[in-house]
Amino acid sequence: MGTVAIVTENILQAMAAGLLIGCIYGLMCAGLGVIFGVMRVINFAQGDFMMLGMYVAYYFVTSFGILAIMGPYAGPIAGALVAGPVLFVLGVVLHKYLVTRVTGIRVAGLEGEGHFAQLILTLGIALVLSNGGLILFGSEPVSIRTPLSRTAWELGPLMGDAVSIFVNKARFVGAIVSILIAGALYLFITKVRFGKALRAAADNPQSATYVGIDVEKAHRVAFGLGVAITGIAGGLVASYYPFQPYVGIEFVIVMYAGVVLGGMGSIIGAFWGGLTIGLVQQMSTLILPTQLQNTAIFVVFLLVVFIRPEGFFGRSAERT
Amino acid sequence: MLEIENITAGYGGLTALSDVSVSVGKGEFVAIVGPNGAGKTTLFKTISGVVPLRSGRITFEGRDLSSYSAWQRAHFGLAHVPEGRQVFATLTVQENLEMGAYTDEGQRRRSEISDMILELFPILAERRSQLAGTLSGGQQQMLAIGRGLASAPRLLMLDEPSMGLAPAVADMIFERIIDIRDKAGLSVLLVEQRVADALQSCDRGYVLETGRVVLQGRHETLLKDERVRQAYLGM
Amino acid sequence: MFGRRSLLRESLPIVGFAAVYMAVASMVESEYHLLTFTLVAVWATMGLAWNILSGYSGLVSFGHASFFGLGAYTSALALKLFGITPWIGIPMGTVVGAVAGLMIGVPTFRLRGHYFALAMLAYPLALLYVFEWLGYQEVAVPLMRENAAYYMQFTDHRIYVGIAVALMTAAMILSRKIEISRFGLSLLAIKQNEAAADAAGIDIMRNKLIAIVLSGAVAGTIGGFYSMVLLVVTPPSVFGMLTSAQALIMALFGGVGTMWGPVIGAMVLIPLSETLHAELGNVIPGIQGVVFGLAIILVIILAPEGIYWKIRDKLRAGRDDDRRPVDASSAAPAEPSEPARIKPGPDAPIVLSVRNLSKNFGGLKAVQDVSFDVPEGAIFGIIGPNGAGKTTLFNLLNGFVTTSSGSVSYKGGDITGLKPNAVCRLGVGRTFQVVRPFLRMSVLDNVIVGAFVSAATDDQARENALAAIELVGLGGAAERIAGSLTNKELRLMELARALAGQPKLLLLDETLAGLGSSEVEDLLAAIRRIASRGVTIVIIEHTMQAMVRLADTFLVLDHGQVIGLGDPKTITREPRVIEAYLGKKWANRA
Repeated sequence: MGTVAIVTENILQAMAAGLLIGCIYGLMCAGLGVIFGVMRVINFAQGDFMMLGMYVAYYFVTSFGILAIMGPYAGPIAGALVAGPVLFVLGVVLHKYLVTRVTGIRVAGLEGEGHFAQLILTLGIALVLSNGGLILFGSEPVSIRTPLSRTAWELGPLMGDAVSIFVNKARFVGAIVSILIAGALYLFITKVRFGKALRAAADNPQSATYVGIDVEKAHRVAFGLGVAITGIAGGLVASYYPFQPYVGIEFVIVMYAGVVLGGMGSIIGAFWGGLTIGLVQQMSTLILPTQLQNTAIFVVFLLVVFIRPEGFFGRSAERT
Repeated sequence: MLEIENITAGYGGLTALSDVSVSVGKGEFVAIVGPNGAGKTTLFKTISGVVPLRSGRITFEGRDLSSYSAWQRAHFGLAHVPEGRQVFATLTVQENLEMGAYTDEGQRRRSEISDMILELFPILAERRSQLAGTLSGGQQQMLAIGRGLASAPRLLMLDEPSMGLAPAVADMIFERIIDIRDKAGLSVLLVEQRVADALQSCDRGYVLETGRVVLQGRHETLLKDERVRQAYLGM
Repeated sequence: MFGRRSLLRESLPIVGFAAVYMAVASMVESEYHLLTFTLVAVWATMGLAWNILSGYSGLVSFGHASFFGLGAYTSALALKLFGITPWIGIPMGTVVGAVAGLMIGVPTFRLRGHYFALAMLAYPLALLYVFEWLGYQEVAVPLMRENAAYYMQFTDHRIYVGIAVALMTAAMILSRKIEISRFGLSLLAIKQNEAAADAAGIDIMRNKLIAIVLSGAVAGTIGGFYSMVLLVVTPPSVFGMLTSAQALIMALFGGVGTMWGPVIGAMVLIPLSETLHAELGNVIPGIQGVVFGLAIILVIILAPEGIYWKIRDKLRAGRDDDRRPVDASSAAPAEPSEPARIKPGPDAPIVLSVRNLSKNFGGLKAVQDVSFDVPEGAIFGIIGPNGAGKTTLFNLLNGFVTTSSGSVSYKGGDITGLKPNAVCRLGVGRTFQVVRPFLRMSVLDNVIVGAFVSAATDDQARENALAAIELVGLGGAAERIAGSLTNKELRLMELARALAGQPKLLLLDETLAGLGSSEVEDLLAAIRRIASRGVTIVIIEHTMQAMVRLADTFLVLDHGQVIGLGDPKTITREPRVIEAYLGKKWANRA
């Protein structure tokens, strides 16, 4: 094989991996995007909700013999999907009893800016979840091992016989599920009446109240939904990536980088942002050592924040 | 239909309204005028429940509103078209109108009311799929009024519909409001800076000054009263 | 209070506290408990570092681990690689922390709100991966048997406590010095209202940078010491989220914006979590993090500014009935009597001259071709219906908004395009519609912030502030807590604050809004008194009743254009003005 072929293969391989991982990242970003878009709350605990999604999927798949019953394709998918409702309930409960205490009118009277109370509250939740996770699940890294985790489809050979791309099956399945769920989310917020009401509540809470939308409830559902979607994404990640209870922090920055890149407040933009981050992460392995993968994400994130904080994918009117 | 009795309301340490009483009868057009800072917008927000009531009573069609939160009141047939338009900028014109029809009554009579709105403001049909934030000020005002109408209300509350609009556009909006009153048979409560226009078209009016009702009466009496001018210009 | 406090006297309680702490520690035998004593002081210091930036200036940092970790690696690597003693290595950590503060501050202070918080969160996590990549996954400090004291390796662990307490004491004294200095008050002003601080002549960027450099230096120092206590440094232990969180939690739990806060927080939380960790650590490994997490959740919900303030407010509420409103006019017996103000004559010199000023926001012409002159000593009223462009015009005058075309000159000099704090330094003061005082500070301290711009010394600032308070008629209330003032008194205080900078021209933005009619009278009297001292006043207002009695001249704006200029009596008869206020049809009828 010539050098050109090797370089091409590496680039294509990284791109393929980036696209697949990017779709899953896109889904987790969309989850965070729902929360930020509707409530304007920065949720530091999002990564830890994702971690919970991973463990829900893990325990569901490993403890009931699901893998044997449903097979290596449907099993992990079912695990990830189960994480959705579980986290939805958790999100709704946490919102009802904790998050509402620091959002809305109560905060307006406090000295300094109200949103710091939200940041700090979610930081507290993050600490409790990640360390509570350590207590419950232990520090040993686990993952949902299926034959798919380690096998790949070969695309090619291309360019004569020189180039072949290997597509990891678990990631591929995860990417497809991510696209489907992101698509469903898109349909929900653009076609379904309650989904549109969520956007209306995000856009102008006071006007939403005037037309009869229960904004408090909209926020609660958005929080639950956002947490659930990220939890599902976590369940999908769990099928190809070993994790432990502190894994959340690795992904918090991935998610915020995606959301900022997509234009804070734009739910669909967040998906594209996450996809881009996945690509950046995988492409960076071509020139950077693997330990610096995440540093590449930070650099992209900081660049976006400094150069174009309004993001790249949002519609302009969405930010007025 | 709407009965406001001796209400006091305000934000934080400020008392914006003290001992205000206003009533609107069925099918009546009532205007509230007064200089800036007189408490007109606060009065509206108190009616729709965004500003809490400190004392007094607000009843709508015999129902005491104080035990209902703001979003529930919209479902009783009360539509508030807020000051400064406040359309959902990131939603399309169509979606804005759909959100207006969020109430059960609005859902039920959707197509009928939608026809009426588009007849009143044909431009909204043309701009159906455009984002509301990209409309001009006048068009946004039309959309805001349309959104209010879409809920099939029995009382339409309009807060400064002509504010910040070019005079010709404001005239046009005003004509439409009169059309709405005449055709749709709604009760209308209007807060307006263009005093003469407001007083000429209303049945009754109230003059608000520093949070109190200083003058009220039928429109022809108010139009003649020198005190209205004084309330605005101070001398 | 401010300007009269000597740092020496303020330091006595701190030194006393440190002595007691040390005395208690010296009675302890167990090495393990001594370590807890050390860690309490370490995390108190780290909390103090966080508080210097975030507590005083309100810029909440979620990334103080950057400074801590850099300090820790500096001292550890200096010893391991170059054999440099920690006595030098730790000060090197100080310098590295300060430099990192500057390097992070310069770009990051351009960001606002959410973006600032996220960027600060990202720095330590990025550093974490970089240090792992550099191969410093675990740096063990080499044990030096000979010359142990030189390498800060003591067998008597009390000495560690001593060093930690010394560092904590230094950080407390530094914090106290900031609290009672001009710099500290300026930070508070920025925390409260950045725009108002800018308009009061405070250089915002400079103050913030000083804060982050000091904060980074303290965090770097204590990080450097920390690695000498634990003898091993790993990226997650010093750059991890928990490190940043711990700094914030100590301060937040104990009390934000006071040097006692982080100390209280550390004294409660560190022993608690250390004990739990020791007793249950094997069974329940993450117990520390859970405790910290629960601690901030509870604090943010029950006492959002920390226990120090909660207790202090409770005590205060029980102790004094400060909240009884004092009528301003009776509270100040020495209040100057209403002087006979002479309106400026036709040949009075022009103070403010505006020529063809315009401002477009996109397609909207907010201000169009506005020209007017304000003579020295005048009370000049700008009126007009809602949305007429009055506030935009004001913002153009003092530099908050850049002009699209036209010019503004003050005393003959062009001030078009100058920044607000520069305009303020030339002698143009301004008040704001929304009053946001420091509720826990005295009226005097609130007003002193406004005096800095023109006062060379702290004593001078204090004197100017007192004179301004006297002039507006709050003389009897100077030492009261701003939180106990009535709405009217707050407006008067705001007026005093603008006045304390000794402006020649004062821009008043809706000073009368939301006041009752008797309260308006007191404000009008105060404004007249200010004008009689030769201060020229330009006031925006829509309460016309009051304005017709206050202003010499009215400028009427509608849709951004001047539609009338003249004395109140003539103006209110002017058809175009009537039309703007009451509508065209009204004007036609008249």
